[in-house]
Amino acid sequence: MKRIWKDLFCGKASGRLAEAGSVKKDCAVRQAAGTLAKAAALLAGTAVMMWDLGGIIVQAGQSVPYTTYNYDYYEDIKYTPAAYVPDGIVTGAQIGCGNLAGPQDLNTDENGDVYIADTNNNRIVVTDRDFNLIKVIEEFDNQGKKETFAAPNGVYVSSNGNLYIADTNNMRVVELDGEGELVQIIANPKSDVLEEGYVFRPMKVAVDYADRVYVIAQNQFEGIMAFNEVGDFLGFTGTINVQITPWEIFWRRFSTKEQRARQQLFIPTEFTGMEIDKDGFVYATNVDGEGEQSVRRLNPSGEDVIQKKEGGLSGDLDWRLAGTYSGPSRIVDVAVRNQGIYSILDSVRGRIFTYDHEGNLLYIFGGLGSQEGTFTGPVAIDTIGEEILVLDATRNLINRFKATQYGSLINQAVGLRYDGDEVQAVECWREVLKLDSNFELVYVGIGKSYLAAGQNKEAMECFRIGNSKQYYSIAYKRYRNEILKENMGTILTSVIVLVILWAVWSKLGKKLWKKRRVSHV
Amino acid sequence: MFKEKLKYAFYTIGHPADGFYEIRHRGQGSVPLALLFVFLFGLCFSANRQYAGFVVNFVNPMEINSFAEMLAVFVLFFLFCVGNWSITCLMNGEGRLKDIVTVCGYSMLPMILTFVPAIILSRFVVADEEAFYYILMGFGIAWFLLLVLSGVMTVHNYTLGKTLLTIIFTFVAMLIIVFIAMLLYSLLSQVISFFVSIYNELMLRA
Repeated sequence: MKRIWKDLFCGKASGRLAEAGSVKKDCAVRQAAGTLAKAAALLAGTAVMMWDLGGIIVQAGQSVPYTTYNYDYYEDIKYTPAAYVPDGIVTGAQIGCGNLAGPQDLNTDENGDVYIADTNNNRIVVTDRDFNLIKVIEEFDNQGKKETFAAPNGVYVSSNGNLYIADTNNMRVVELDGEGELVQIIANPKSDVLEEGYVFRPMKVAVDYADRVYVIAQNQFEGIMAFNEVGDFLGFTGTINVQITPWEIFWRRFSTKEQRARQQLFIPTEFTGMEIDKDGFVYATNVDGEGEQSVRRLNPSGEDVIQKKEGGLSGDLDWRLAGTYSGPSRIVDVAVRNQGIYSILDSVRGRIFTYDHEGNLLYIFGGLGSQEGTFTGPVAIDTIGEEILVLDATRNLINRFKATQYGSLINQAVGLRYDGDEVQAVECWREVLKLDSNFELVYVGIGKSYLAAGQNKEAMECFRIGNSKQYYSIAYKRYRNEILKENMGTILTSVIVLVILWAVWSKLGKKLWKKRRVSHV
Repeated sequence: MFKEKLKYAFYTIGHPADGFYEIRHRGQGSVPLALLFVFLFGLCFSANRQYAGFVVNFVNPMEINSFAEMLAVFVLFFLFCVGNWSITCLMNGEGRLKDIVTVCGYSMLPMILTFVPAIILSRFVVADEEAFYYILMGFGIAWFLLLVLSGVMTVHNYTLGKTLLTIIFTFVAMLIIVFIAMLLYSLLSQVISFFVSIYNELMLRA
């Protein structure tokens, strides 16, 4: 009940905030023109007025088909202005290659060219950043023999421009160079750790700067398969350990052999998608039934080095237990963005969660549906600059999202902080604060700058609002020392005075006390 | 009179065996005073949630409801007293309900005495010094538990083993009381709705 009420109320409120946000740009122009629209109240006033005048400012932000929100320290939902708004859809027909059929993967390269694994059409579609068709790869030349693809589920472009295709039903990974010439085929991996007659069905593929090839294969629970640059199988990386709760152990003790055989097997979760950052670390998503950690950052030796906060890294923090849209988020893909920011895509509720390198949630948006900007079967996510692309395998199209002022300010501020430019970051944070006064990370960011400037009391206040106990402690410790230092004289004097008073009392007072007691008797 | 009783409460928390014996057999205790202590503890409990320093306070301020928290303290207190009384009646306990209420109420005094300074202290601690706050709180709670234990033991004239056993049974009794109360509540609401529907039927048909 409470949640519903909150939804209703805050949904509206956030809508209003989004309006105010989108209108702000225009007002900035007005300011430059010399209008005295400085006060925030006036700003809001103009916003409402313009709104009432009948849609002078029409921005996509006003008809966003989903709510944008974030979680606060207490894991309550706080609705925010829209961080990203839909920016059109792209179908195969629009690209000019005929309709896509169940496309499963999407990848962008450094130039912003888009590679789509058009799975059921057995082809790879390549377009430029504006979705003009560059080429369609349907076949390649293998030692004079024309070969085609069979249900390619994954596609990846390496930093040197080579194209890697997870050719699932042909049980191989195909590497083509920029001209579409075959470089190598990775198939039929041989190793002691692989069982006899292992069938290699690659689903997703990724390549790092050293041309090591990482493959997520179907029914391969050991982890991500790693291959070297000439296609030799190196081993598994990022194995997720099975976790059994004491409760499950307890139940298994009391179940019979037959019961045990019918129980759910304790197998590690499967990886669903991956991407590689500039430093060669693998970001990989997996399905987590507990909703605790669905994205990992694997270093070259396969250890998870991602930073996470208490809320974990698994999308939504609370969910319905049964019914429609229930269960923890099922994260299907990850998009690594600049300066440690990454976005993950949830297929249960069609939401996109964006985190910074410390694991703080920045913004959550998106939803399931059939409107423009919502998904039916989201399978892959990638970015071109700030733009976010989401591939919908059911509706066979790509959803484009562009950042609003709010979203891009957050991206910018987090980026600046990642680069260590705290001063510039604070400028951005202050702008963010004008659009969303509930954003805790902003207060921590501003507080840190106060802390650096030695303004401990202001820093304390910021950290308190931002709910950062760790930094609050640092600020408070400094503030306390400051106060103690300033008042050391007074404190020492009063201590001395008290000692003298006590001494006097213990000499004189006791006598008086005794006299009184004696007189009583 | 009140002053002496109050002084005696302070004596009791320091000398539980003597103190509770006198309360049981020489009428040194006071039920209103015990209830006052429960009330004060309810206040302290709620104050701790609301006013404990930021570093040690993990409570969402939006969820604090002093009235509900104090009510909860009182309900638990009475549940324990009634539960303990019903069990000890069956197990040859010598204590009257009055004595049990007094014991439980007086036992809360140390918690009142430690929570207040702990709350004040917590407002001046930083991350590494939280331990002082927790030690102070823990000390109060441990003292309370020891007092309840020795109090129940003394007023009922039990051995330690029997006291522990009755306390475990007390919790079972509390659960049963809650269960019966809920049963009664749902039954009553059904009976009421039955009569309401008869009334409606008669009024609307006529």
